Amino acid sequence: MDDRLKETLSAMMDDEADELSVRRLLSHGEQDQVRSQWQRWQRVRDLMHEGNLAPEAVDVSAGVREALDGAVQRPAGKAGLQARRERNWHWPAVAMVTLALVVGFGAGAGWESTGDSGALVTAGVPKEQGATPASAAEPVPEVALQGLDEEQWEHLSRYLLEHAQHNSVGAGRGSVGYARLVSASGPGY
Amino acid sequence: MRRTVTGIRSRLPSVGRRWLILLALFVGLVWQVSARSAEDAERDAEYWLGRLGPALNMTSYRGVFVYARGDQVSSMRIAHRYRDGMVEERLVPQDGASGEIVRKGMRVVCVLPDHGRIQLDQVIPSGPFAEAFSSQLMPVTRWYQPELVGDDRIAGYDVVKLGLRAKDELRYSHQLWLEKSTGLLVKSHVRSVGGEVLEHFQFTSLEITDSLPDSEFVIRTEGEAIKRNLTPEEASSPAPRMDGWTLQWRPDGFVPAAAPRSGEGQAVAFSDGMAAFSVFVEPARKMVMPTGASRIGATTVYMKQLDVDDVTFFVTVVGEIPPTTARKVAESVKVDDTLAFGAVRQ
Repeated sequence: MDDRLKETLSAMMDDEADELSVRRLLSHGEQDQVRSQWQRWQRVRDLMHEGNLAPEAVDVSAGVREALDGAVQRPAGKAGLQARRERNWHWPAVAMVTLALVVGFGAGAGWESTGDSGALVTAGVPKEQGATPASAAEPVPEVALQGLDEEQWEHLSRYLLEHAQHNSVGAGRGSVGYARLVSASGPGY
Repeated sequence: MRRTVTGIRSRLPSVGRRWLILLALFVGLVWQVSARSAEDAERDAEYWLGRLGPALNMTSYRGVFVYARGDQVSSMRIAHRYRDGMVEERLVPQDGASGEIVRKGMRVVCVLPDHGRIQLDQVIPSGPFAEAFSSQLMPVTRWYQPELVGDDRIAGYDVVKLGLRAKDELRYSHQLWLEKSTGLLVKSHVRSVGGEVLEHFQFTSLEITDSLPDSEFVIRTEGEAIKRNLTPEEASSPAPRMDGWTLQWRPDGFVPAAAPRSGEGQAVAFSDGMAAFSVFVEPARKMVMPTGASRIGATTVYMKQLDVDDVTFFVTVVGEIPPTTARKVAESVKVDDTLAFGAVRQ
C-alpha cells in the first residue's frame, strides 16, 4: 500500500476524498491491507474520541463500490442530476458509508431504472398459454425484444413496420405517424 | 309596541326567507353556470378534436419534432405546405442513417441510402393518404372522455391542452396539445391507466408560415430514389382481408380500418379513431416464436402460436393498446380455413 492510497484513506476519514481516488482505492489489489489500515485508523480515532470500538467484521468496501456504481447508473437526462451527483462527493464520509450500507442492503434496487414494468411481469422463460383465453387479471408474460434471435426480430420488425404504416402518413396523426414509422424502422432494437 | 314587536317578528323570518331564496337562486345559478361550463368545456374539446384532422393536412409549417417511446428518442425535421389543395412534405430523420421522404400530392419519393430495413412498400401507406383514418367519423368521444385541460405554450406557440381519457381499461388515454390559431397538433402523450407517459411526441421548434419556398421540398440526399404514385384505385380498398380466420372478440369501438399489405399471410387493422392495432396471422413454417407481450412505449406486440390441424400459425397483435387488450385479441383469433393460407403461401 503506497502513500497515495494512505492519503486517500486518510482523506476519506476526513470527508475530503474525491470519487476517483476512492475508486482507485477500492480497486487496489490488496484489499485486506486497505481494510486493516482503515480499521486501525478508525479504532485510533474512536479511542481518541472515547467512542466505542468499531465492529471489525463490517466490510464497507463493497457497499461503497455499489454506492459509486449506483450513483453513476442512475438514468441521466433529468436536469440537475449531474449537480446532485457531484454534490454527493462532498457528503460526509459517515453519510456516504451509511448510504453504501443501505444501498448494499437493499441490493441497489432503488437505483436501477425499472424501465417498462407496468402491467407486465418479467418472465425469463415465456409461459405457454394454451388455447384457452386467459383472464384479464392474469399478468401478461413478457417477451424481451433483446432476447429474440435475428430471424425472430426480422419477423417482428416487419410487423412493427406494417402496423406503423397504418399510423403513418395517412393515419390522420400526421407527424406522430411518421415518427412511429421511422422509429419502428430504426436500428434501435 | 305590540305592533313593533310583531312587525319585527314578522319581518325577521321574511328577511331570513328572502336570504334563503337569494341563496338558493345563487346556488342554482352557480350550479347552472358550472354545469354549462362543463358542457361547454366538453363541446370545446370536441370542437378542437374536429379541427385536429384537417389542420394536420391544411396547415403550412416547418420545424423539428422529437419522438420518444420506451427508452428510444428520435427527432425529425419536417416541412409541410398546403397550397392549391395539394400537400407537399419533406421529412428528414435527424438521427441514425440519413435519408428523406418527400411527398408531393400523391407522389412520394423516398431516399434512404444505407438503410436496409425500410422498404418502399413499408414506407408508403397501402391505404390512401388520410382516407381510412382521417375521415374520422368514428365517435371518438364515445370511448374517450374529452376534456379541455387548459392553455400552455409549446415551441413558442400558444396551445390548448386537450385530454382524452379512456372510458375503459381496454385502451390508453391521450393528451393532445393543439396550436390555437390553426389547430395543429404540436405535442401529444399516450398515457397508461396509471398515468405513466408511454409515448411522447413534441415539436421543439416550429414555424407556422404560409411562405415556404419550393426549395424546402427538393430532394437533397444522394442515393437511390424510389418513386411511387399513390393512385386512388390503390387507395380505395379498405375491405379487410380476413380470409381463413376470424376474430371472436375485439375491444368495443375498434372497427376494421385499412387492409395492410402483408407479404404473406393475413393482416387486418382496427381503429377506434385514436388508437389502432393490427392483427397478423401467418403460417409458422420452421420458425419458433415465444408467447407473450413486448412493449415499446405505447406500442404493444403480443405474439402467440396457434395449432390448427397440425399446422402452426403465428398470431401477432401490434398496436397502441394495453398488453391485456392485445392478449385478449390474440387469444380470440380463430383459424377456420387453413387452406386459405396454403393458397397464399404458394
